[in-house]
Order: sequence, then C-alpha cells, then structure tokens
Amino acid sequence: MKTLVIKNLKKKFGTTWAVRNLNLELEPGEIFVLLGPNGAGKTTTLKLIAGLLHPDEGDVVINGIDTRKNPLEAKSRIGYIPDEPFIYSKLTGREFINFVAGIYNVKHDDYEKKMAELFKRFGVGAWIDGFSEGYSHGMKQKVVMCQLLLHDPQLILIDEPLVGLDPKSSKTVRETFIELKNQGKTLFICTHTLSFAKDIASKIGIINVGEMKFIGNLDELSKISGKRDIEEIYLKLSEESVNETIP
Amino acid sequence: MRDFFLIFTSRINIILKSITTMNAVRIASFIFVIGCFLAGSYYIFFRLFNYLIAVEIIGIALMDRVIEMGFFVFFIMLLFSNIITSFSTFYNDKELYFLFALPVRPTSIYLSKLFENCLYASWATMVIAIPLVVAYGVTTEAGFLFYPLSILSLFIYLIIPAALASVLIFVILRLLPQLKTRDVILLAFGFILGLTFLYIKLNNPTILKVFETESEQELLRFAANLTTVGGGYVPSTWLSNILKGLSVNSSQGIFYFLLLFFVSMSTAIFAFFMAKALYAQSWLLIGEHSSNLSKRKSLLTSFRSGSTKTLLFKDILLFIREPTQWVQLSIFVILLVVYIFSLRRTPIYFTFPLWRTIVSFANFAYICFVLATLGVRFIFPTISLEKSGIWIIGSSPLSFRKIIMIKYFFYVLMAIIIIEGLLIFSNIFIKTDQRIYMLMPLIAFFVAASLVSINLGFGGRFPQFDVDNPSKIAAGSGGIIAALMSIAYVGISILILATPAYHYLATTYLHRPSNYPLIYLSFIGFFVFNIFTIVVPLRIGIKALEKRDF
Repeated sequence: MKTLVIKNLKKKFGTTWAVRNLNLELEPGEIFVLLGPNGAGKTTTLKLIAGLLHPDEGDVVINGIDTRKNPLEAKSRIGYIPDEPFIYSKLTGREFINFVAGIYNVKHDDYEKKMAELFKRFGVGAWIDGFSEGYSHGMKQKVVMCQLLLHDPQLILIDEPLVGLDPKSSKTVRETFIELKNQGKTLFICTHTLSFAKDIASKIGIINVGEMKFIGNLDELSKISGKRDIEEIYLKLSEESVNETIP
Repeated sequence: MRDFFLIFTSRINIILKSITTMNAVRIASFIFVIGCFLAGSYYIFFRLFNYLIAVEIIGIALMDRVIEMGFFVFFIMLLFSNIITSFSTFYNDKELYFLFALPVRPTSIYLSKLFENCLYASWATMVIAIPLVVAYGVTTEAGFLFYPLSILSLFIYLIIPAALASVLIFVILRLLPQLKTRDVILLAFGFILGLTFLYIKLNNPTILKVFETESEQELLRFAANLTTVGGGYVPSTWLSNILKGLSVNSSQGIFYFLLLFFVSMSTAIFAFFMAKALYAQSWLLIGEHSSNLSKRKSLLTSFRSGSTKTLLFKDILLFIREPTQWVQLSIFVILLVVYIFSLRRTPIYFTFPLWRTIVSFANFAYICFVLATLGVRFIFPTISLEKSGIWIIGSSPLSFRKIIMIKYFFYVLMAIIIIEGLLIFSNIFIKTDQRIYMLMPLIAFFVAASLVSINLGFGGRFPQFDVDNPSKIAAGSGGIIAALMSIAYVGISILILATPAYHYLATTYLHRPSNYPLIYLSFIGFFVFNIFTIVVPLRIGIKALEKRDF
C-alpha cells in the first residue's frame, strides 16, 4: 500500500493559489525531498498533508486513509515538524516529550529506552531539564526530532530539518533519516539544503508558484536539466519553472 | 523624537491595518456590542445619580462621593494592571530584540511601549469611566464644555499610573535583575499595597467610612465631611474636582484640570528620564539572567496515562509557572475574601429579613459579574495560549472538540468551586432566607456552565495566536466581545430571575397573593436560556477551530 497519495490538491489564500493541482505518490521506504524558492508552496503542501490547513480541492490519502473522511485516524499515522518548532516556554524539553507521548497515548515504558538512545544520539544534555524558553533553535530542533519518533509514524513530514543544527547533529539527522527509510518509513522533507537533498533523497520534487514542476530521482532530473551538479540542476529547473509561469 | 514617531506610526499602522482587514460583520458586531455596553453602563450610572441627587441634604455630596470613590478604585486598578502588563511589554516582548538592535534611542522604544502598555492596561477602565462621566454631566445638567474637558481629563489621568508602573518595574529590575517575573510582580504589588494602606491609614479618607446615624445634626456634619473627601493629594480627588467644577462652570474645574495636566506631564517626564537611565541597562541585565538553563524536576512524567490527563496537567503546570497568571488570580481571591468578610456586618445593618434577602440577591448578581470577569481574564485566553503547541495538537489524532470539552469540564469545575464557595460563605454571613439559600447554588451551577462556555467558545472563535501575554489576549477585540457577552448574559439572567425573586419576596414578607405560574415560567425561561448559552458558544468555538487554517 502506498504511504502517501495526493490527488489534484489545491489551496488558495485570498486570490493567490498557494498550491495548484498537486499530484504525488510515495511508497514505503522512500525519502521525498521538496525543493523550491521562498514562497513556492513547500510549507503549505506540508501543512495540507499534516492537516493544519484545509485543502480547497483534492485529496490526501495516508496509508489508505482519506484525510477528509477520517482525519484523526490519518493523523495518527504521521509525525510532523514545522520550520519553527515552538515548544511551550514554561515546559522543560523532557516534559514536552512526555506531553507529546500523552497526546499520542504512548506508554512511558514503551518510549523510555528509545528516548535515552535518541538523547545520546542527538547530544541532548542536562539542558533537557531546563525550561525551553532558554533553548537555542538547535536545541529545540533536537527536542522535536526526539519526540517525532515517539509514536512510530509511518509518514514523517519535516520542514527544514537542518536549520540551527551544528554539523555533528546534521550528520546524525542524515543517518537517522536513512535508518528510518531502511525501516520502511516514508519521509517527506522540505529544505533549501541541496547537498542534504542529494545525499538522502530517493525522489526530488521542484515546486514553484504552487505547482509541482518536476518530480524524479537525481538521474532523471539531471537528464531533464542537462546538468550534473545538484545546485545547477535546481537553479536551471526552478528558473525554467518561473519562466514557464510568466505569461 | 523622529525614532519615536517612526515606531509609533508603524504601530498605529498595524492597528489600522488589522481593523481594515477585519470582516465587515465582525466590525459591525464589535461596534454594536461596545455600543450596547456603553449605553447600558450610561443608563445604570444615570439612574444611580438621579436617585442620589434626589436624596435631600446629602444627595449631591453622596454623588460626589461615589464619583471620587470610583476614581480612587480606578487609579489602584490602573496601577495594578499597568504593573502586570509592564513586565511583558517592556522586557518579554520578542519585538524588543529587533528594536534594541536598531540605531534607535531606548527612550523612543520606551515611549512607544508605554503607549502600548497604557492602551492594553486601561481600555477596560475607560469603557466604564466614560459612561460614568457622561451620566454625571447629564444628571448635573453640565454645560457643553464639560464633556470634552472631562473626557480629556480621563485620558490625562491614565498617564500617571502607566508612567509610575513603568518606573517601579525599571527600578526593581535595575537593582535586582536576577529576580524572576513572579518576584518582580509580587514586589511591585507589595509596594503598591503598602502605599495604599499608608494612604488610607494616614488620610483616614471619609470615602471609606460607612454612615451610621439617624440624627439630623450628625447627618449634616456627615454631609459637610463628604465635601472634603479623600485628601487633596491624590489624582482621583483632582479628577472628581474637575468634574464637580466643570459641572457648575466654576474656575475650580479649570484649576484642577491644569493641576492634573501638570502632574501627569511631570510624571511622564520623570518616567522618561528614569527610562533613559535605567531601561536599556535593565533590559540587557534581564537578558543575561534569563539564559539560565537550571535543572528542574520533571513534573509532567507522573501524568502520562491518556491525552485528557496530559492536556489538563499541561494546562495546570503552565498556569502555575506563569506568574502573570497566578499572581492576578491570587489578587482576585484576596479581594474576594475581603469582600466576603465585609458582609459579616450585613445582619447588623439590615435586621429586617426582606432587606437581607434583597442584599443576598444583589450579592448574587455581584458574584456572577466577578465570575464573568474571571472568565474573560483566565478562560478566554486558554485557546490562544495553545499557540506554541498548535502544530503538535493540530497534527495529532486529537480533535478540537475533545480539546475544548476537556478544557470546558475542567474550567466548569473550577468555576463551580469558586461561585459556590463565594455564595455559600456570603449567604451564611448575610443570613439569607433558607429557601433562597438552597436555590442559589443550583442557579449558580448554570451560571458557571454558561460563563465558561461563552468564554471558551469565543476564545476558540477569536483566538489570538500571535500574542503571548494572557492579559493582552483578554484585552483584544475577541476578549472585549467575550466580556460584553458575559456581562450581557449575567444581566439577562438577573432580569429573568428578578421576577420570581420579586414575587417570592412579596408573598413571603409583604403577604401579597402568590403568582406561582409566573415564578415557574421564569425558571423554565432561565433554564432554556442557559441551555442556549451553554451549547451555542461551545459549538461556535469548536466549529471555528475545526475550520481554521493553522
């Protein structure tokens, strides 16, 4: 069964189309990286899948569950991290993780071991027991990375996973994503870090002005663009997509 | 000054933009609700002043006493609310990181923040004060000049508590930058309470005394005393003197207007220079101390079984850890305890049971208004305060219906404890009629359930996810609508219940024929009205959140 199926997804803000006629299918064990310039519709797409925005038209099906018909069941299969991971300022990082576990009805014994391992892996220190109001962006990013895996989601949606992380943590994130892929999880990532996309993506999408312009693996995109380097491919394809949309 | 005008005009532009982008229906309903409230308040004050002015010998003096007492209470309330919002406006606002990084004078930042703080802390007082002043003018048949000058005086009056509160916070934080928000607010409150106590002790103001005599001579002496109430050194006295003077075209009004203007400006200039010396320094010191990541015992671990307990425990924990929340609630509770104990003397003043029953009915209305206020301040912001976690809640398998209902039952429980506690103790002190004593807790249950529904429902309908401070959320346009809806609910409930109360009193104490069908009909009306006020606001809130894009 496909983990994610998006059919003719459309979202309008006022008179502006943020996402238009988006179609996408992702299999278990795929990492899909969505690239695009600022304001292209990446975050909107992610929020539409996560159920934080209501589509004007189209369907999102997660693990065979239609998000319109059964939104809560569909949401229980996803894990989502926004580009700005706000945490309640008067909760400690540990309390926040326990809060998320409670929301997803995950028992403490089931995640205690996993958390200890993740804390070690992401270099989470004693600061996890301090109020999150004093955390840096990177610290918050590490906390939300840890909570993401609490309820064992099938589809993982992440907006800009590397922002604020130090090089070591970035490497850990990369390794963790590949590990998740090998476990059969599907990852949908929005990023501007092209080297990261090149390293981990099994499929890359380029979106601009709300429309998916190209989807394919790196070789296919390279063939279409006639370029070899990921940066050149991206610049060429995103430029073409802009030119295409100008009347 | 150029910096200040740039920041100030950008702020005004943001406010205007937010108004012009509002839905026309929302603007119209907002204007309608505010208009109704102003008109209703005016009517109540007008009736009160008309009643007082008709009392022989002491009528006018009594009216002036009410005015002065009102302004004195306003001053203390303004000082308290300015202190509560000051800390977050001058130190906790994220915008300050941007503003202090600009080549802008700290005094310009201070002035724009002072305006913002004064606006948030004072609007509620102004909504009450303006109808009061207009009703006073109409009752005393004041000239046309009375209205613009006295309303202008009200605005000038606001400057003093706003400036004083900011200076107090600056001094405390400059001297003790390591203090936590909780300690700063408590220290400031302690200081203000101490000053108020000293003022009352030293001045022994007649405004706080209760008149207890039937002798005409004593009555005249008392009336003479009433004309010199409160001492001449407090701004509330000057403001009431402005009103008194302007209403009779006396030069006294202009004199006190100039005095108030001079003192307000002097306070603002003093605060300006204090801000110049202390604001930037204390803001930097606070920043250094707030980056402390000291270890805390995790309290959210033992409540991990199920989403309901988790959500509830998170709400309680965040409330306890947010000083602006619990300090304000504590002040409310202290004031209510003082009020309840002050009712102990009621059976001494009112020996006839009919009067005691009337007092208990008035007390019930007052307690309902208190609960309405608490609801707006503490329940309305609860949905907006989910802002930090809305991405996790919104993307989790937890429906907004469940979130609202969890919060609803929790707050209803809290509201019932508060309202029933207040009613039971106050009725014991008042020695209320037994039947009323038994019936009121049942009615209070519906009042609690409705007021929580109104505030939670409107909190979901008009959330402000871009504001951190719960006081500011409650002071926003949605908060104003919820406040006025709550007050309207209490007003309508009191009107419905007044009919059975009147007939019961007339039957029991004045031995008039009973009208049971009307009494039963009123109770059925109250019940139906409450079903509506419990179900509809909650539905509005849930639907709005379900449809909302985050």
